[in-house]
Amino acid sequence: MMRYTSFTSYDFILLAQGLGVSLALFLATTLIGLFVGTMWAIIRFYRVPVLTQFITFFAELLKNSPVLVQLFLVFFGLPALAKINITPVEAAVITLSGNTAAFIYVIAVSAIESIGRDQIESARVFGLSRWQVLRHVIAPQAVAFAIGPLTGLLVNQLQVTSLISVIGVVDLTKIGNILNLRTLKPFIVWTVVGGLYYVTAKLIAYGGARLEQRLRAHTAWKGL
Amino acid sequence: MISVRGVRKSFGSATVLDGIDLEVHRGEVVSILGSSGSGKSTLVRCINGLEKLDGGRITVDDFDVSHPKQLAEARKRSATVFQLFNLYPHMTAVQNVTLAPIQVLKQSRTQAESAARALLDSVGLGARADAYPAQLSGGQRQRVGICRALAMKPSYLLLDEITSALDPEMTAEVLSILARLAKTGTTMVFVTHEIEFARTISSRIVFLDKGQLVVDLPTGQFFAPDGGMSKPRIAQFLSKMRKD
Repeated sequence: MMRYTSFTSYDFILLAQGLGVSLALFLATTLIGLFVGTMWAIIRFYRVPVLTQFITFFAELLKNSPVLVQLFLVFFGLPALAKINITPVEAAVITLSGNTAAFIYVIAVSAIESIGRDQIESARVFGLSRWQVLRHVIAPQAVAFAIGPLTGLLVNQLQVTSLISVIGVVDLTKIGNILNLRTLKPFIVWTVVGGLYYVTAKLIAYGGARLEQRLRAHTAWKGL
Repeated sequence: MISVRGVRKSFGSATVLDGIDLEVHRGEVVSILGSSGSGKSTLVRCINGLEKLDGGRITVDDFDVSHPKQLAEARKRSATVFQLFNLYPHMTAVQNVTLAPIQVLKQSRTQAESAARALLDSVGLGARADAYPAQLSGGQRQRVGICRALAMKPSYLLLDEITSALDPEMTAEVLSILARLAKTGTTMVFVTHEIEFARTISSRIVFLDKGQLVVDLPTGQFFAPDGGMSKPRIAQFLSKMRKD
């Protein structure tokens, strides 16, 4: 029996599709993670009793266990426990969003805490509400503070998306797997796949650095 | 009127305010003197609601600062200038001044901005209105701090050692603004170490020592040999400060 061991132009489309799936999942889980993690940090800022402690505990769980284990727990464990169906994509979105949220929570909390107490006090004395202080005094500075660590986190989270290929999501890594099995040219296949991740990660880092520059340039902070 | 009645405040085992009574009426300039640690700054922080009282009562125009709802009203009536300026570093001078008028007094941006620029102009910062705090000298920052307080059109101006972090030259530029404000009848509570200056602008002088109010006298009497100076603690304090 013959095998199609040579590359075809169709393989580029496959790779592009895989990259598209990886990017879509990355973007979706980043947005959800940003929203959820920031919400958690705001709940902590308001010192909401019980909820704050629960969030801190939950974020600790997410940060200190392997993403792959979390993925298995959601994909295999949750359906068994709750008698529901979860597709691989759903499991991937839930797991990666939660994981990203946990780390964004940590970054957001330290960014909020980096803002000097004295500024917050003076804003309060001038009659601004807690929300107005958060919105106008803390948030703009916290974002400038957080953008560096956030870029680092997102570069890492992009690589983490490759884990979802294990439960059958056809992302870039899964495409790599498929091409590898067909062509039996692992070195070429994984170099190309790795290169695509690399270029994407570099673009994220570049975008983050540009954004950081812009956010800090207009404040003219020295040595911060 | 700002009314302070039997106010007590402790941090841990340290009693910082030990039963303070004080009244400040509109149009008065009341200077609060006392050595470091005497409780002067804490008293101001109690009046503007930054510290919770352990006892006693403070009202600003009859609004009790210990009640959250009334505190908001009290805070609209007084404005504080801080020792370390406490400007918002990510905002220009004009933005620092307009934040509270826009957010709290609900002024329009245009209205707040033209008022802020006029204020900054009046303290000689017209050309620096769009600079960030990091681009300003200490004296300039404190002048922005004063404008930020004045923009709220407060009935009472609380000044918490506003020249302590400034060199003599910058101190002079800030004090000259206060002298002008005192002439226009702005009510001020002036916590300071600038004794000679306090003497020229104050209607009354209050002396705190170890959290207690030692005297509360009209300025002339405070410096008279048979007035405040008859108290050994005050005579000692003044002679030390004047030597420096």
